Amino acid sequence: MVWELGLPLRFALDLPDHPTDAELVEQCKRGNLHAYERLYELHSARMKSLAFHLVGNRQDAEDTVQETFLKVYRGVRGFAGGSSLSTWIYRILINCCYDNLRKQQRLAEKPVERDFPSDPKLPLKLALERALEKLNERRRLVFLMFEVEGLRHSEIAAILEVPEGTCRSWLFEAKRELKRLLTESST
Amino acid sequence: MKFECGDLDRALEVSELMPEAREHLKQCAACRREYRLWNEISTTARQLHEAWDSPALWPKIRSVLQAEPKPERTPAWRKQWKVWAVAATLLVGIGLLLLPRLQEAISTPDTPNVAGTSSPADRDFLTEQALRDVQRTETAYRQSIEKLSQLAQPKLADRSSALAANYKEKLLLIDSAISETRSNLDHNRFNVRLQTELADLYREKQQTLQELLTRDQKN
Repeated sequence: MVWELGLPLRFALDLPDHPTDAELVEQCKRGNLHAYERLYELHSARMKSLAFHLVGNRQDAEDTVQETFLKVYRGVRGFAGGSSLSTWIYRILINCCYDNLRKQQRLAEKPVERDFPSDPKLPLKLALERALEKLNERRRLVFLMFEVEGLRHSEIAAILEVPEGTCRSWLFEAKRELKRLLTESST
Repeated sequence: MKFECGDLDRALEVSELMPEAREHLKQCAACRREYRLWNEISTTARQLHEAWDSPALWPKIRSVLQAEPKPERTPAWRKQWKVWAVAATLLVGIGLLLLPRLQEAISTPDTPNVAGTSSPADRDFLTEQALRDVQRTETAYRQSIEKLSQLAQPKLADRSSALAANYKEKLLLIDSAISETRSNLDHNRFNVRLQTELADLYREKQQTLQELLTRDQKN
């Protein structure tokens, strides 16, 4: 039997070029690592960036993404398909980020220092990053997912398990708060 | 209504500014600055997306996943545990249905009595007892078949399937025969032949329902 990545090639070839969500779930349930690789290709860039903004540095962000994949692998058999696969993955990622953040804060016993890239050419970007730190968690999360990562309101609502209207309202509150903070900091 | 500086926040709640707000912006420099900042927040936010190469990340994740025990497939019989539970109940039911017939054979006058001591009054009591057992078992058996019927309902409700229509027709015939036999039994409760017929009909219904459900599993 031909083996690839520790799997019989037969399983590796079961994955179509453009698998549907259901096909990916089925292959993930079989433990097909090619399916996980496809998930990684599709979502890792956004997952890393979102994790970076939540946990504060690249190394922890990567660790969180890795932990998310492990949780997906362990839990996919229980995934009933009530939401899309990506929604479920982002939900796990966000929970992992908050878990890691809590762990870091416990270890450091002080607020976690964040990597703020200092780019003097982009003062608004820097000011925005600092202002984001002052938002409450739900507003910040919705702002990051919608404005920074480009997720749709329907997707964010599904991830956070809130109505779409609530999600829009949190985004508006986030932007209004950011505008206030940025106006204050510039005067 | 006159639009004032304090109304700007409320006006920003909708994606497109209302004409009064646009008119106000033309005349108010402070609100113009705020509105520009509002839009810049969104454009600048896109630059906050943090992208970096991590060539070692996927290989690391892959090796972690490889080290995990392979997820086991749930055996098909475990997925269909309800069917099997009902089938097991039915089997017990059949066994209990046959038991009174055996008791009846023991208590009939031409059958040699093992103990050889029971009086006619005892035998009447035993027959009455056996009948009660049959009725109790039949009720339990009927309830189990009802459960099986409920499991088969979605398949039977499929109007597009000719097979489902055939099964439905067959089950209707069996139900009608069951109803007729039970009605006859009401007039002659001790008739062993009718009790046997009724048991056979229930068995037939059970087999039909199981066939429908297992056919679905195979397909």
